[in-house]
Amino acid sequence: MTEIQATDVILAATVAADDDAAPRQSVWQRFEPTILGTGTIVLLLLVWQFLPDFVPMKAGTKLFFTVPSHIAGTLWTMFATGSIWAPLGVSASAFAIGLLLAVVAGLPLGVLLGRSATLNAMVDPFITAFNATPRLVFLPLLMLWFGIGIWSKVAVVFLGAVFPLLINTYEGVRNADKLLINVVRSFGAGEWDIARLVVVPNSLPFIIVGLRLAIGRAVLGVVVSEFFGSQDGLGVMMVRAASQFKVDIVFAGLIVFAALSLIMTGLVKVLEDRLTRWRPQHSNAG
Amino acid sequence: MTAYIQGRNVNLTFRPPNRGPVRALQNFDIDVEDGEFLSIVGPSGCGKSTFLNILLGLIKPDSGDVLIHGKKIAGPGTDRAMVFQEFGLLPWRTAQNNIELGLELKKVPAEKRHAVAGRLIDLVGLSGFEGHYPHELSGGMKQRVGLARALATDPEVLLMDEPFAALDAQTRDLMQAELLRVWREARKTVLFVTHQIDEAIYLSDRVMVMSKRPGRAKKIFAIPLPRPREYEMRVTPQFNELKLEIWNTLKDEITV
Amino acid sequence: MAEDAAPRQNLAERYRKPLLGAFAVAVFFAAWQAIFLVVPFNPLFISKPSLIFAGYADLIESGDLAHDLAVSAVPFVYGFVAAVIIGVPLGIVMGWRQRVGYALDPLMTVFYASPLVALSPLVVIFFGVGVGGKAVIIFFLSVFPFVFNACAGVRAVDPLLINVVRSLGGGEWDLYRKVIFPSVLPYIVAASRIAVGRALIGVLVGEFFAASEGIGYAISRFGDIFSLDRMFACILTVMVIAVMLTEGIRWAERAAFPWRSGR
Repeated sequence: MTEIQATDVILAATVAADDDAAPRQSVWQRFEPTILGTGTIVLLLLVWQFLPDFVPMKAGTKLFFTVPSHIAGTLWTMFATGSIWAPLGVSASAFAIGLLLAVVAGLPLGVLLGRSATLNAMVDPFITAFNATPRLVFLPLLMLWFGIGIWSKVAVVFLGAVFPLLINTYEGVRNADKLLINVVRSFGAGEWDIARLVVVPNSLPFIIVGLRLAIGRAVLGVVVSEFFGSQDGLGVMMVRAASQFKVDIVFAGLIVFAALSLIMTGLVKVLEDRLTRWRPQHSNAG
Repeated sequence: MTAYIQGRNVNLTFRPPNRGPVRALQNFDIDVEDGEFLSIVGPSGCGKSTFLNILLGLIKPDSGDVLIHGKKIAGPGTDRAMVFQEFGLLPWRTAQNNIELGLELKKVPAEKRHAVAGRLIDLVGLSGFEGHYPHELSGGMKQRVGLARALATDPEVLLMDEPFAALDAQTRDLMQAELLRVWREARKTVLFVTHQIDEAIYLSDRVMVMSKRPGRAKKIFAIPLPRPREYEMRVTPQFNELKLEIWNTLKDEITV
Repeated sequence: MAEDAAPRQNLAERYRKPLLGAFAVAVFFAAWQAIFLVVPFNPLFISKPSLIFAGYADLIESGDLAHDLAVSAVPFVYGFVAAVIIGVPLGIVMGWRQRVGYALDPLMTVFYASPLVALSPLVVIFFGVGVGGKAVIIFFLSVFPFVFNACAGVRAVDPLLINVVRSLGGGEWDLYRKVIFPSVLPYIVAASRIAVGRALIGVLVGEFFAASEGIGYAISRFGDIFSLDRMFACILTVMVIAVMLTEGIRWAERAAFPWRSGR
């Protein structure tokens, strides 16, 4: 039982007060979280892998029950034969273009809204409405307008990614320390200088958070718009595979999308580390 | 001879959006001589920081004249610089880059900026720390950066708004001595706002006591202590008499 | 020495923001309607407020709108409720029992981070396109915010409060009622705000695949037959519902737990 006991709290206080207390974590204690965590995942994968061998299944179910080894094999084949690159390229382009447009539109707009309370008040209902609505609801309309090529996808990605960026930039701008603005102004800074010297650097951590959210939504946008409104791309490949009961391809597609998401988030983390060296602690908020 | 800094009949009323108006300064007069170190003590809210901000050029008075070297103030300028109580360092810049801020805005070329900053870093005693970020510096060190930054543009007037209030008592004593040392070398006119009478007497040529809000100049005391000021002077009878006089003038203005 | 103007200013200041917002929305719709006086109107491409309004009237009169919304709502409710019932206790156990938390954290993170909606084709094939399949999709999309937030809520419980209640003679049940539940509740409500958005995606995904009824299907079908006015009407309906749900929850959060904030 790991219930918190009264004694735990008192003990913790005593230990904290004792400066000479040496850390007494055994190897097990330090790696316990990692071991338990990875262990669970490995365990589940193993259970999944050997389930068909132990559990009798109807022929119908067996038709599309796949196991990790098959999925891995399919993934390997897709990369080895290069059959993955074309659809991946299509999906990745829609993702990248939509995300880029979202950055280009969202950041300056966020700054603008942050500086002008009037503008913000007027635009707020639209932002709230579009942010709360699943972008997927616009897909049929976007397909009417843009066809089933890449642009309807880009539009869905854009709509999903632009609002976190816009909102977070806005928050970052509003958060700018008035003292610092006064300081900089007292040394002769004009409006542009203030933006450059104070507002933008202060907003960067907020923008990073927005970027992370935007990436998640962008991937989601690509996936759903490729399910319903596209001729090619990874999502289309997955839908076709599903209708042919090629379940391992579907899972393989999921893994590739997840990997795309992870890589992008990793890149953002690298960017974040480089841009926020001046911060006192690494808080993992957001 | 007109004073270097002159304030005549300065009036300022703040009008915050959801409350009644606040009269910060009323018929405020002041004369500061060139190269003088003048402290202003007064109760909280008496307008002393407000006047400093008027001198800095960030606020305009409702009426009255504020002249520096005979000219009216028209916004911030490089002839004045402020050292802030909360330091006001840009956290994303190193100490050196913070010091160079004013020079950057004046479009001084990089080489010259680095030279000036380097000299000032030595002057304020921060050698070796120029590449540190503010969060890596102690309070005293941050304020040294603030001081160096204010001196970088070579202003004629140094405005100091309770610069040592955020420091612990020991650091504060040290910084006061440091300030005097730097001032001896830099020779600026200094307007120093503080709550602490000790500090005011120790540092200044003259001490002005302000009334409570709306602020007026109540009384000005000359400080005849010799320079350079030594710590031992703080415990002399002369020092204590001054302190008592100033306190007596001030205490009627303070409401708890 | 208070000025007379001060209190009046207060009122106008407070309503400034919503008034400006309402004004902007009104201007938007007016401009949308008016622009076709100068720009040619292609009904196959776009619609305008007057026609959309007429479309709304038709849909409401015929009962189609209500019917489609009801059809969409059923799997939404099933999936969402299942997400709460399964997600919250799971999250609480993860937060309360340290080892369980260690074991499940990475797994849940992997699930949350992967676009699980990518597996919807499989769900549809396995569970069909009826209420079952849609509910499953909605469940998987909305369960994770609850798991994580419940977990975080439990982890954030102040041990000192637990000591206080125990020292006053409280038992397990008292702990749950007086400390844990109130501490975790704001987290769960915040989770529902996020989950609602994801659940709506689930509704649409399920219906776009191959449904014959429902609001998502309606949007898609109206698009196919180029009935733009009704299509816009349905899209706007979804937007209004989404906003009402999300902002409604946010309002409830602010009213019930004023110390918490966030988008």
